[in-house]
Parts: sequence; C-alpha cells; structure tokens
Amino acid sequence: MVGQKRDTFQGTLDMLVLKALQLEPMHGWGITERIEQWSEQVFQLGQGTLYPALYRLERQGLIRSDWRVTANNRRARYYALTKEGRRYFAEELAHWRRLSRAINLVLEAS
Amino acid sequence: MRELWRRLRHGGTRERGLDEEVQFHIDQQTEKYVRAGLSREEARRKALTRFGGVESVKEQARDEFRPALLDDFSRDLRYGVRLLFRSKVFSIVAILTLGLGIGAATAVFSVVNGVLLRPLPYPDPNRIVRLHQVDNNGRRNNNVSEPNFEDWKSGTRSFTAMAEMSAAPQPVSLNGDAIMVPGALVSREFFDVMAVRPIVGRGFRPEEQHVGATPTAIVSDRLWRTRFDAAPLDSITLRVESTNYVVVGVMPPGFNYPGDSDYWYTRERFPAQTSRTAHNFQVVARVAPTSTVDAARRELSLLSRGLKQRYGDGTWMSDAAAAPLRDSLTGTSKPLLLLLFGAAILLLIIACLNVSNLYLARASTRQRELALRLAVGAGRGRITRQLLAEALVLATAASAVGIGIAFAGVKALAVLQPANVPRIADVRVDAGVLAFALVVALVTAGLLGLLTALRTSPTTLRESLGEGQRTMGGGRSERTRQGLVVAQVALTMVLLIGAGLLTRSFLHVLAVDPGYNTANALILDFMWPFVRDPQTVARRADTEREILSRLGQLPGVEHVGLVSSFPLGNGFFPNGRFIEMSRPDDMTTLDDYGRISADAKARFGDAGYRVASEDYFAAMRIPLIRGRLFEPADGANAPHVAVVSESLAKTQWPGQDPIGRFIQFGNMDGDMRGFRIVGVVGDVRELSPETVPGPIFYGYYQQRATSRVSIVVRAATPTTLAASAREVGRQVDPEVPIQMRTVDDALERALAGRRFSLLLIGVFSGCALVLATLGVYGLMAYLVAQRTREIGIRMALGAESTDVVALVVGRGVRLAVIGVAIGTGAALGVTRLLDGMLFGVTATDPLSFASVGALTLVAVLAATLLPAWRALKVAPVVALRAE
Repeated sequence: MVGQKRDTFQGTLDMLVLKALQLEPMHGWGITERIEQWSEQVFQLGQGTLYPALYRLERQGLIRSDWRVTANNRRARYYALTKEGRRYFAEELAHWRRLSRAINLVLEAS
Repeated sequence: MRELWRRLRHGGTRERGLDEEVQFHIDQQTEKYVRAGLSREEARRKALTRFGGVESVKEQARDEFRPALLDDFSRDLRYGVRLLFRSKVFSIVAILTLGLGIGAATAVFSVVNGVLLRPLPYPDPNRIVRLHQVDNNGRRNNNVSEPNFEDWKSGTRSFTAMAEMSAAPQPVSLNGDAIMVPGALVSREFFDVMAVRPIVGRGFRPEEQHVGATPTAIVSDRLWRTRFDAAPLDSITLRVESTNYVVVGVMPPGFNYPGDSDYWYTRERFPAQTSRTAHNFQVVARVAPTSTVDAARRELSLLSRGLKQRYGDGTWMSDAAAAPLRDSLTGTSKPLLLLLFGAAILLLIIACLNVSNLYLARASTRQRELALRLAVGAGRGRITRQLLAEALVLATAASAVGIGIAFAGVKALAVLQPANVPRIADVRVDAGVLAFALVVALVTAGLLGLLTALRTSPTTLRESLGEGQRTMGGGRSERTRQGLVVAQVALTMVLLIGAGLLTRSFLHVLAVDPGYNTANALILDFMWPFVRDPQTVARRADTEREILSRLGQLPGVEHVGLVSSFPLGNGFFPNGRFIEMSRPDDMTTLDDYGRISADAKARFGDAGYRVASEDYFAAMRIPLIRGRLFEPADGANAPHVAVVSESLAKTQWPGQDPIGRFIQFGNMDGDMRGFRIVGVVGDVRELSPETVPGPIFYGYYQQRATSRVSIVVRAATPTTLAASAREVGRQVDPEVPIQMRTVDDALERALAGRRFSLLLIGVFSGCALVLATLGVYGLMAYLVAQRTREIGIRMALGAESTDVVALVVGRGVRLAVIGVAIGTGAALGVTRLLDGMLFGVTATDPLSFASVGALTLVAVLAATLLPAWRALKVAPVVALRAE
C-alpha cells in the first residue's frame, strides 16, 4: 500500500506526525503534545486517529518503534523516523510547499 | 504474500503492546491535568473523556495491523456460500458429484490406510521379519524345516530373537462345547520377537518348555473375556485336543498373531523334528537394533547357501529370504487394493472434470458479473481469489458428503467382509483418512478455481461486456469444455474396460468345471486330537467308517465320502515328494529317502497327499478314468493301495500306465508301508476354481490315518440333514467339534475376493459412466442453448429437422469417438496392471474393448438426444427474438 495516494486529511495528519518525529524519537502522547503546542492549540489531535496513523506509518516502514523508559521511569513505546521516513517527509514537504505556494498565489492574487 | 506475512507477524506483537500504550497515554494526560491543578480523580476522568472510547480507538488501531488479506478471504468465503445458496441446483449437482468422487477415494483410502499403511500394533514393527526358505526353483516357501531353523538361529547374529510357530484351528472344549478355535504352537523366543507380553499373568517359564512339562497356555484377551468371563487365571484351564492346559497369561487386546490365534502353547513340549525336508513351521524374527533388515537378509542368505552346500539334496532349501512382517501379512491383497485405489482416483478425476465443466458453464453465465467487477477495478488476482474461495466452499461441502460416503462405505465393508483382505478389522475412518479427504478437497478446490480463473481471463471478460455474444459462445471456453468431456469419456472407458475384463474373468471362473459337482452337498469338517498311539489311530478308522455308514442311512442321502483335505476352503493342502519303488518293500525307513535320492532322481515325484474313502469320488462326482477305486476289501491289513489324479499320471508317467506301480510316500504320515496304484481319477481344482489342477495322490482312509477329516454328504436336500448329521457326529465323539457348510458356501468363499473387487470396480465404473453421460448432456444442452439463434435462422431458411438433429448429435458423437479412441489407447496401457486378476481373458481382450466402446458410444448418443430434441422445438420466431 506504500505508493498509493492517500486522501488529503490522512496525508496531512501523517505529515504532522512525521514532522513531530523529525527532531527526536517520541511516544504517542508526546506527539499529541508537540503538535498541539506547535499549532498553538489549533490541532487537538483525536487519539482515534493518532494511533491508527502511527501503526500505518510503521507498517509502511516510514517510522519504527521500540520500548524505552521515560524520565519518570515508565515504560513507553517510542516512535522514530526511519531513513525512508526522512526521505519521504522531505519529498512530501517540498511537494506541500509547492502546492501551498501555488494555492497562496491563486488566493492572494489581486 | 510478503505483505500478508509482515502483517501477520506484526499483528501478533502489536496486539500485546496496544493496551500498555493506551494506558500510558491516558496516564500522561492525567498527570498533565494534575499539574494544571485538578484533583487526581477529576484529572483521570477528563483524560479518559479526552481520549474518547478506549475500545473503539483500539479497534481502529487494530484495523491497521490486522492482516487485510485474510479479511478479504473470509469475505470471499461468505460470498461463496451465498452464491452456492443462490444457484441451488448447480450447487447440489456439483456437491453430490464431487462428494461421490471424494467419498469413493476416501473409502478406498481408509482400506489402504488400515491394511497397508498403518503400522502393525507391535513395538518397532519394522524390525519384525518373516524368514522363508527359497527352493531350487527360486520359490519362496511358507514353511521351514526345524533343523534349518535351528541352524539359522545358531548361525546368525543379525537377530535379537527368532521363533518358529504353527497356527491352526484346533478342537477346544469349553464348558462342554466342542469348537474349533485357532491357536498357535510357538517356540521359546516368540514373544521376544513380537515384543509383546501378557497383560495378565505371565509368560512361559523355561520349566514349561521341554518334553514332558506341564501343559501351559497363554490366551487372547478376546477368548479370556468371552469364554472365561475374565475369571482369575488360577481357576481356568483350556482343553485342547483332549489335553488340559493351565492358563498362565492373557495377551493384550488385539494381539492375535499368527493367524487369528486365541491361544499360544509351547513348541518345546513336543519332540524335536529331525527331518530337514519336513516343513512344518513358519519363522519370525526380530532384527537387532545394530543391524538392518537388508544386512540380516544377506547374512541369512549366505548361511543358507552354505547349508545347501553342506546337505545337498538333504535339504530343499537353496537360499533364504527375509520379508518385513507387514509385507507377508498384506502381500496378496496389496495389488488388489492399489488397483481399487487407482480406480477410485480415476472416478474422482472424472467427478472433478464433470464439476469443472459445470463450473465453466456457469462461469460463462457469470461473465457479466465478473466483467463488471473487473471494470470497477478488481484486479485479476482479486477475481482469482474469489473464484478460489467459491471453489473452496464447494469442495468443503463436497468433502463433508464424501466423508459421509466413506463412513457408509467402511460400514458396508464390515458387512461384506472380503475374506482375502487381511487386517480388515483395522479399517476405519480415522484422522489420517480425514486428512486425506481434506487434502483431496483442497487440491480439487485449487484446480477448479484456477481452471475457472484461467478460462475467464480479463480479455474474454471485456468482450462479454459488449453485446457481442452472438458467435458460437466464447470459443476458448467452449474448446476447454469439449476437452473436459473428451477426457471424461476417455477415463470412463478405462474404468469400464477394467470392469469389463473383470466381469468376463468372473464369468469364466463361474463357468470353469472344477472337476467336481457343487450342488446339493453338505460338508462336515472335524479334526481328531493329536495322538501317537497306534491302537487309538486304528480305532479312529473304525469310527470314521461308522460315521459314514450312519450318515448314509439318513433319508435322501445318495453318497457319503471322506477326504483329508476338502477342495476350497480350509486351506490345508499338504504336498510332498514321493519315490517310485521297484518293489513294495524297497524302503522301510525315512533314511532310505537319502539313499535313494542319490541314485535315481527320475523316480522322484511331487504331489498333493490326500486320504479318501471309497465313496468320496462318487459323492463329489469325480470320474474314475482307469483302473478301480478303493474297495472295502482294501482293509487295514491288506496291501496299501492308492489312486492318482489324471494330471499326476500324465506328468509322472507320460505314455505309460501308472497302475500297478509301487510308491513310497511315508514322509507324509510316518507310515513306511508302500502303496500300489490301482486307479486314475479326474482332476480337481482344489484351492479355487482358478487354480490349475495339481497332481494329487489319494490313499485309502482305512489304511492311512488322517487327523483332518471332511465328510461330503450328497443328498436331495442336504440342508435339512444338518441337524441329524451333527447328532451323528456328537454320538460318535462329543469332544470333536464338527463344522458344517455346503459346497456352494465353500465355493462362494473362494470367489469372495473376486466378487468384492468386481463389485467395487463395477460400482465405480457405473458411476463414471453416469457422470460422463451427464457431462456430455450438459455440454450439448449448453451448446443448443447457445445456438438457439443460429438454429432458428437455419430452420427459417428451410433446414430439415434431420439437419438440426444431425448438427447436435454429430457434435456429441464426434466428441465421444475421440474420447473412446483416447480411452482405448490409455486402457491398452493400463489393463496390463490387471493381469494377475484376469482369468480366461487377455488384458487386451478385443470383445471387452469393443463392447465397452459400443456401450460408451450408445450412452453418449442417448445423452445428445434430449438436447437435439429440444433444438427441434426451437420455433424460428422465438429464436430470433431471443436476443
């Protein structure tokens, strides 16, 4: 199913997740927090979409996961970008930039 | 496939982590609210609310790692089931057809499995071997002489144990009843060879294993329970041949080797046999764990060839052979069973072809549905998967029917009891058999699904989306269907020809003149207890005469005769080597055999040895050819006389008169008085009507003793005599059990094996013919339906009805002729396998081939008539409107 075009919303969520993981490996809760923070609380991520998205991305080989111990000494599953994930994110980001620039050009045209 | 694997592997580990991960998330959220100033309880409630339905989140997450392919497949299966219910007639016909094939194959496999495949119920059974002497002609003999056995035992190292045994029904007295019960005389190491011990009591002790020891016996679990009510061992004795045996042990249930024995007693209580040419025992041995069956065979062979060098004509053994016990138990039935299995597989293939044909016919009507699915984006693989799932549903239903048939078949088998199939009690539908049925169903489903998928390729499908159905109906698919029909007809031919050859053989066997007349005769079998005392033996001759005369006085009795081995049946036909002497008293001891053998081999002869009464030949309607029969004047003290069979006279004294010659045959009964031949009688086929009449030598019952006795009573209505005949026997000696049968029964038993295989092959080929006919009919009906328009146009243009019929019938007959031709060729190759079972016909019997070919053509013709008639009914206008 890699290579199949995903619908826009799913694609957007995936992008956000990948972006969140770009800096460092994180657990699921951390990802929601990070996205909320960056989006200035605009994106309140529903867990019903986050976890399926994580599993989907992992299955596609874009991220991988392992169990680690948190600072508070609890076991949690941490997700990290794979090499393929980084490349995919870079491509998609470029694609997004082209697209959003084009949309902006159209919408802001005077 | 890799995707499926990855999902499967992934799914398993993921499921376990999911709970923990969700829990962690909620805890973290709770912590955050606590830090924001909420109470812990409040925080937790809020975190849970925020998260949403925990289970529904988990379920959505699971969707991502659950193997989607399996999901799809189960959906396909459900769809397949619905489809089966939608087209009921198709489904029922297909399931029954396939079920029949699977059932036949499974039923026969359950026999093959029970008889040939399942290991014998002894520890390490592959190490148990039967040892045989091999004679000068390279024939493997069943029996071994005791001195040879002793030499084998002391001269080999490849065996951990070796034993001789002799199994036979013996007269046993149980609670006043005298019955024949099979038992076995076994030597010391017998139970070591079998590696089975008594479960109650103990084995034999050394002090019970020498001449003069207290008689002891071990009994079967079956005998112990049914005849002794499982009583404590010290309270029961077994009375065999007027000797009381102390029962010391009971074998585990199911242990009845050799033969079908119910008790075992020790060989060593009887004197050793010193004659190297008296072959009275079978030998079993256990190959040592350090050796192999092959190595053991080589060692035994080397030793035996050495023995031959040492003893020359003193032994008839020129070599030796070792055969796995299972082979010797199943030997004769193996080719028969494999043949039946082959026939069942053929039937299964025919059933598959038939169902494929149905499938293809239906696939063509489903083309639009499939084409639509292709058009909206289902991949080719997706369609194939769906067709496979449908076939799987069908085959599963069919295998359920098949397993039902197999159960019924195995039950029927228990009723039929084919006498010549060993271990028949072991035949049942078990896990192995079910697995077989399952594998058959899966393979069938795979083939069916793939075939249909191949025939409904996207290109043909796309064509069918357009309205272009006007041509002769999807050329490729039609050719395939014709091919299937031809294959069906051809395979049916093979089965039918097999059945035809067996039928002709059976008729020949029935028509054979066995040399005696079988109607209206009663046989009484009994056996005298073994004694050596000459007075007792002499008294028996008087008793026998007494019985014969009393039976002769019963109303309606024409003749009463006595013989030591009655043809057909009890399976004991002793034969041996006699010597022609120049004077009646030329030889008086067994040692003279060795002396004579050195100088004149021409004076040797081999013959079956029987003892008979004067009226035996009249009672059996065996004709006197030359000389005279026995007469009452040939009393116990008169010179011993003999009668020989025609074939013995011809082979031993070609062109000369056998009458008046002196014969020494004392090695058969230890009586060294010579015989004078007084007459020649007709040949009889002893073992069964199929055997070649062998040379037979008859002594007179008043002069020579026999322990086995069969009395033939020929009367107008022999069965009404049974009770009074039994009473006569009881009066004479109540301890001698008498068994009764009619000659017809005996003949029936001899033919049972042939009847059984004929019945099965007949049923199989009958089913095959019906299926093939249905196949032809189905195809023809389909073709007519496809061509309704064409036929209509033709008729509108003035075609005669004969033309239309010719069109349809001609098409069917053409297929049939091709099928018959191919089938005949295939049968020519296959029927050679039947060679051993044929009697009076060759494997290429032209009559069988021709009549089966004709039968097939007629059946096919009949199958095309109905569609042809329907074609005639096509009214031109209707046909044109049909589009």
